[in-house]
Amino acid sequence: MSAVTLRKVFKRFGPVEVVHGIDLSINAREFVVLVGPSGCGKSTTLRMVAGLEEVSDGTIEIGGRVVNEVAPKDRDVAMVFQNYALYPHLNVAENIAFGLRLRRIKKDIITASVNDVAATLGLSELLHRRPADLSGGQRQRVAMGRAIVRQPQVFLFDEPLSNLDAKLRTQMRAEIKRLHRRLDATSIYVTHDQVEAMTLADRIVVMSDGNIEQIGTPMELFLNPINTFVAGFLGSPPMNQLEATVSYADGGPIAKVGSDIAIPLPELRQLRNAEGHPIIVGIRPEDTAVERNGAANAAGIKCDLDLVEPLGSEALVHVSVADHPVVLKTETRGAISHLSDVQEFFVQPDHIKVFDQKTGLALDHPEVA
Amino acid sequence: MTETVSQQGVRDAPTTGKFEARVRWLVRHFRKEWQIYVLMAPMIIWFLLFLYKPMYGLQIAFKDFSIFRGIEGSPWIGLEHFQTLLGNDQFFRAVGNTFIIAFLSLAFAFPVPIILALMFNEIHHRIFKKMAQTIVYLPHFISVVIIAGIVINMFSPSTGVVNNVMGMLGLEQVYFLVQPEWFRPIFIGSNIWKEAGFESIIYLAAIAGVSPTLYESARVDGATRWQMMWRITLPSIFPTIVIMFIIRVGNLVDVGFEYILLLYQPATYQTGDVINTFIYRQGLQGAQYDMAAAAGLFNAVVALVLVTAANALSRRVSRTSLW
Ligand SMILES: Nc1ncnc2c1ncn2[C@@H]1O[C@H](COP(=O)(O)OP(=O)(O)O)[C@@H](O)[C@H]1O
Ligand SMILES: [Mg+2]
Repeated sequence: MSAVTLRKVFKRFGPVEVVHGIDLSINAREFVVLVGPSGCGKSTTLRMVAGLEEVSDGTIEIGGRVVNEVAPKDRDVAMVFQNYALYPHLNVAENIAFGLRLRRIKKDIITASVNDVAATLGLSELLHRRPADLSGGQRQRVAMGRAIVRQPQVFLFDEPLSNLDAKLRTQMRAEIKRLHRRLDATSIYVTHDQVEAMTLADRIVVMSDGNIEQIGTPMELFLNPINTFVAGFLGSPPMNQLEATVSYADGGPIAKVGSDIAIPLPELRQLRNAEGHPIIVGIRPEDTAVERNGAANAAGIKCDLDLVEPLGSEALVHVSVADHPVVLKTETRGAISHLSDVQEFFVQPDHIKVFDQKTGLALDHPEVA
Repeated sequence: MTETVSQQGVRDAPTTGKFEARVRWLVRHFRKEWQIYVLMAPMIIWFLLFLYKPMYGLQIAFKDFSIFRGIEGSPWIGLEHFQTLLGNDQFFRAVGNTFIIAFLSLAFAFPVPIILALMFNEIHHRIFKKMAQTIVYLPHFISVVIIAGIVINMFSPSTGVVNNVMGMLGLEQVYFLVQPEWFRPIFIGSNIWKEAGFESIIYLAAIAGVSPTLYESARVDGATRWQMMWRITLPSIFPTIVIMFIIRVGNLVDVGFEYILLLYQPATYQTGDVINTFIYRQGLQGAQYDMAAAAGLFNAVVALVLVTAANALSRRVSRTSLW
């Protein structure tokens, strides 16, 4: 299994630059997810690793070898496409065997490998069907099988689950994770779905507009987003962001939102002597509570109730704080009647994130400070 | 949207039940979907007028027809014309020639546009590609009369390019167009030159419909361009090839009759006279309309049998069929 390293990689389509010099180093056996909004250059980056797009500038290394000039077939990578790219005229077994047959591998070895992979993916009964006679999930599996059977150094996935319905997506997600644990191969996985990123990744790479915003484990990114973009991208619902200014009360820093709302802030070095500094207050919906529940240092924040969305065991409460919309997430165990008269919610100051309004960067992030 | 509505409508048709219910359904259907029938009308009228109405005249194949008595007034004589035809050596020769030319065309002319399309698909230089395509499409737009003129000139014994070149190489000159053994190669070869380019458009369109990710996936899997052509492009356009083949078999006995008429002469009847030219000589030049109609009917029945057989065969073998 090989490491993959991108150094100052640029991609230009004619005069338009879509990837602006990204650096990324992926360890052998690591599962890295590139995540970001549509059009941010994830697929382009992945296709450069595959060799389907040329690198405009910079270098890409696979297993320590610069592959900029190496043809896709000689990079020892396998790719799974969003639309599966199955050959409609071949049956499942032939589709899986395609890459091996191109390499003129012996027939009995091919048959053995195909049967092996089909068993792993639960396709053994379907080997003689054509793609047209398969369900979406089965096609997906065949596409995976075609990649696995080649035993490549690196797996590349471009939104492989996007064409599936929500239920199947959850199921296949777990299956991919299991598969990775078993195969232990370096994988680069592209998605715009932050849930997929959070659940699958060893490390997540958040991209926007052709740049990398932040790289880290799912928990690092969730707990310590480097900027408002990452904070707003990960988590569902995403982190609430309130524009405010720094002020002080009772010897501690507070955020003033509108004219009469004050939110106590964590004691940060960067918040000393910062009276009037414009900031963004970040509050995760999960970190809020509608009752104090004995948490003495939790601050109460006045709000106006807008809407309650029951989700079963929990509920989303949409409120507004000084005319800024805020979403609270609360466990209900089915009882939601008490939510209809919410006027205040509680949050621990230590759970609050503070961002600079101008740069969008987190004030206390180690990489920023 | 209209299409889904109409499909919906047809699916709703009562399959069982009373006659009355069906009539009511039909009335409702027409009231809702009349626009579609208006759109279809010109084509249907054209078919009725130019393909179905003339069938009325086919009956003269079984009558002793004369223009003075008219179709109605001519007496029935049964299969007499067919008996005469089957006893006619010229007719037999024409049937044989038709099939030989048809099958040689199928064998040599049918694959050429496919090969051309595959080759065009591999040209990536835009300007060169456009130029090459224009050059091979061009002959299609030239009238067959002019094509025949060009061919006759090219193969002329005294001034033709072919004979001049042969002369320079020290070969003996040949008057190709009066040699029966040269008629078929020249006819089929020049037909390929005229039509192959234009026919390749259909295959190019089919190739354009192949999903580009199939090629990308194959590239990552290690396919060379040659392998991609054999293992992706060709199988992907195979249904189109089959459909074109069935259509071609249906038109098999038609063998470009105007062109033969322009190219052949009594010296080459032996290899060039086909059913349609035979009909032309019997019917229009010899005024034996009833005999010509019988030969024409024979031709049509053969065509029907061929296309039905080809369709059935293809449905069984390749799961693709015209109907
Ligand atoms: N072949 C191309 N030519 C020109 N622009 C392209 C091409 N492929 C992608 N782009 C542009 O590059 C940007 C990034 O695309 P892509 O990598 O597909 O984004 P995503 O993150 O959604 O996968 C988009 O703005 C897209 O329009
Ligand atoms: Mg994409």
